[in-house]
Amino acid sequence: MADIQDTIREQVENNDIILYMKGTPQFPQCGFSMRAAQALSGCGREFAYVNVLDDQDVREGIKQFGNWPTIPQLYINGELVGGCDIIMEMYESGELQKAVDGAGQEA
Amino acid sequence: MMEPQEIARLLEQGLNDARVHVDGDGHHFQALIVTPAFEGLSLIQRHRMVNEVLEAHLDSGVLHAISMRTLTPEQYDAERT
Repeated sequence: MADIQDTIREQVENNDIILYMKGTPQFPQCGFSMRAAQALSGCGREFAYVNVLDDQDVREGIKQFGNWPTIPQLYINGELVGGCDIIMEMYESGELQKAVDGAGQEA
Repeated sequence: MMEPQEIARLLEQGLNDARVHVDGDGHHFQALIVTPAFEGLSLIQRHRMVNEVLEAHLDSGVLHAISMRTLTPEQYDAERT
């Protein structure tokens, strides 16, 4: 399992915004992932995504990596922002837009 | 099948001074959690705190079925005015 943790770390470090989700933004396969992807799309910037249904190791490994029990998981600037509830709440308050706008601009 | 009240009770016992309301049909749950323990914490820190309380008692299937809002008493009062 060490390998999968390294793989995930690389993905998270190499992408300013990356969403781990079930399905794809075009064809989400879970309501929570769908809402998360829509909110993120609404912020108007391209983002990377990983469909965890494509890889069972990633599906389990991401929970360990983020110390977070559920999917979706959004990472911005290498840090876990949250799951569906947090993404939606931040989207509605405008905080998600700010976080997305700040992606790639390391403090 | 899990009763919403059971989840509310776990949260009230596990969090300081928490006011908790949980709705649900036994499969999906929506929890509103208000506690001063959230003060100064980010959303993710608040959710982690709640997850820790629940993880000790619930299997991951139930945990996945809960969506939550986490507010401080001030935030809760501000929403109602």
